[in-house]
Amino acid sequence: MNRGLNRLLLGILFLLILCYIVFDDLVQGDWGKIDGAWGRFSDFVSEDLLPPEWGMLTDAYYDGCTEDQAMFCSKAFVGMLETIKMAFVATILGFSIAILISPLAARNLVPIWVAVPARIIMAMTRSLPSIVWALLLIPPFGLGPLPGVLAMTFYTIGFLGKFQYEEMEGVRNDPLEAARVMGLSRSEIAFNVVIPESSNSLLSQLMFMFEYNVRHGTVLGLVGAGGIGFHLMFYMELGLYHHAMTFLIVIFLVVMMIDLLSMGVRSFVNEEGDVKRPSWLMTLLPPNAMFSNQNQDGK
Amino acid sequence: MSINESASDDAKDPIVIAKNLTIGYEEPLASNLNLVVKSGEIISIVGPSGVGKTTFLRTIAGMVSPLSGTIECNVKRRGGLGYIPQRLGLVRHTSVYHNVDLGARVGVSFGEFGLSWWSERNKRVLSCVEAMGISEKIREPVRRLSGGQQRRVATARTLAQRPKLILADEFLSELDDDNISAVLDAVKAYIESSGAAMILVEHDINRAKQVSDRMLVIDDGRLNPFIEKLTIQEVKF
Repeated sequence: MNRGLNRLLLGILFLLILCYIVFDDLVQGDWGKIDGAWGRFSDFVSEDLLPPEWGMLTDAYYDGCTEDQAMFCSKAFVGMLETIKMAFVATILGFSIAILISPLAARNLVPIWVAVPARIIMAMTRSLPSIVWALLLIPPFGLGPLPGVLAMTFYTIGFLGKFQYEEMEGVRNDPLEAARVMGLSRSEIAFNVVIPESSNSLLSQLMFMFEYNVRHGTVLGLVGAGGIGFHLMFYMELGLYHHAMTFLIVIFLVVMMIDLLSMGVRSFVNEEGDVKRPSWLMTLLPPNAMFSNQNQDGK
Repeated sequence: MSINESASDDAKDPIVIAKNLTIGYEEPLASNLNLVVKSGEIISIVGPSGVGKTTFLRTIAGMVSPLSGTIECNVKRRGGLGYIPQRLGLVRHTSVYHNVDLGARVGVSFGEFGLSWWSERNKRVLSCVEAMGISEKIREPVRRLSGGQQRRVATARTLAQRPKLILADEFLSELDDDNISAVLDAVKAYIESSGAAMILVEHDINRAKQVSDRMLVIDDGRLNPFIEKLTIQEVKF
């Protein structure tokens, strides 16, 4: 066994021991609840969650659909669509605002007295999770998608903005230097050099944020901010886990589809040959398996 | 300490005047550098790796402050100075058009061209791209081009700017002989017609001879006139 692997294993062992000590302190030495937990969990999955209640996805709940289009009026479909719409609007709004603020926070573009206030603004919006933003926004805006969208937008500005300015700070120096010597203004450098140069990562982050907001949109539904999470909470509170399982499956499928979409979008700006046309299989396999698969195809 | 390239009094229309310059970052790399660059000149700076050729160029460009001495660059801030760094400084994820347009953007001002500003900018991009023989690649992302094609894009960007001084760091490497002639012809034609000047850092002495009117060597921490008869080994390359 090589020395590097030994060190890695030793490091992991050390961290596991550390975790054990911290967790033991957390539960104050009472590990009783862990006994039999796996059995209880498997019982819960096999008895309460499975099989899913597909009626949530196939039966029309809302008016306006014919019988053969019932799925499009089901609770799962309509709820998911609402969550996707909320996430889409919040992501685009948040991205648009963040991309205007983040060049002001990048140290290679602006002096420190500009960067620090811009970073503080983004840190403020990021310091509260979107669910807390939603709880703060429900009283003034009422229940429904609006506080949900606003909550996700605020969080997106802070979260995505931090990714963006860090990415901008990491762009290669030579285009920046050439642009400065040429006499381009700071804003021209930001929008014509730095943002296009980091476009691959910015797009990747945008798609990640959309996926994140779709997942978080379901959580926001739990506090009454609309979307599929509202139905999920409703059935879980009633103990109807078969019904809730259908919503969970729909969420999983949608997140996977967004991942596929993300790969497709990024392939437009990636280095040539780095990313092949994505397939369903590629979203499921780990990267190593993916590349060995391509090599076998002789690509 | 020797005066290397004298700041002669008869210099007409000097674009760069460097006096007693010491360059480097924390430690000096070369000292007592004197240089006058006149309109229409192409000057090559040669020397072994690590002597400070690129640092000298970056100091002229204003990216590195001199440790001592003065440097005067008589060019306008926006568009007056064209720079082709060793790694070219291209925006790799955007098209050839976008990259060349960055040069045209600083070279064509609304004040000068009025309402035809936009079309003039477009014309300039197209003519420079054509002069560099990369018209068929104009919509291609730069990252998909070969090293030689990317060098031509960087040159087109600088020409679109119509600068008074071009600073180029080994911009002819990765080009084959035919491409070198094509690129050089375009650059020389521009310099002759516009009265601009060029300072070129070049590792290859033979190529530097082919390109320039004057060659200077940074050797032993000083800038000396290059002596034709010396071989590469004799000037401690």
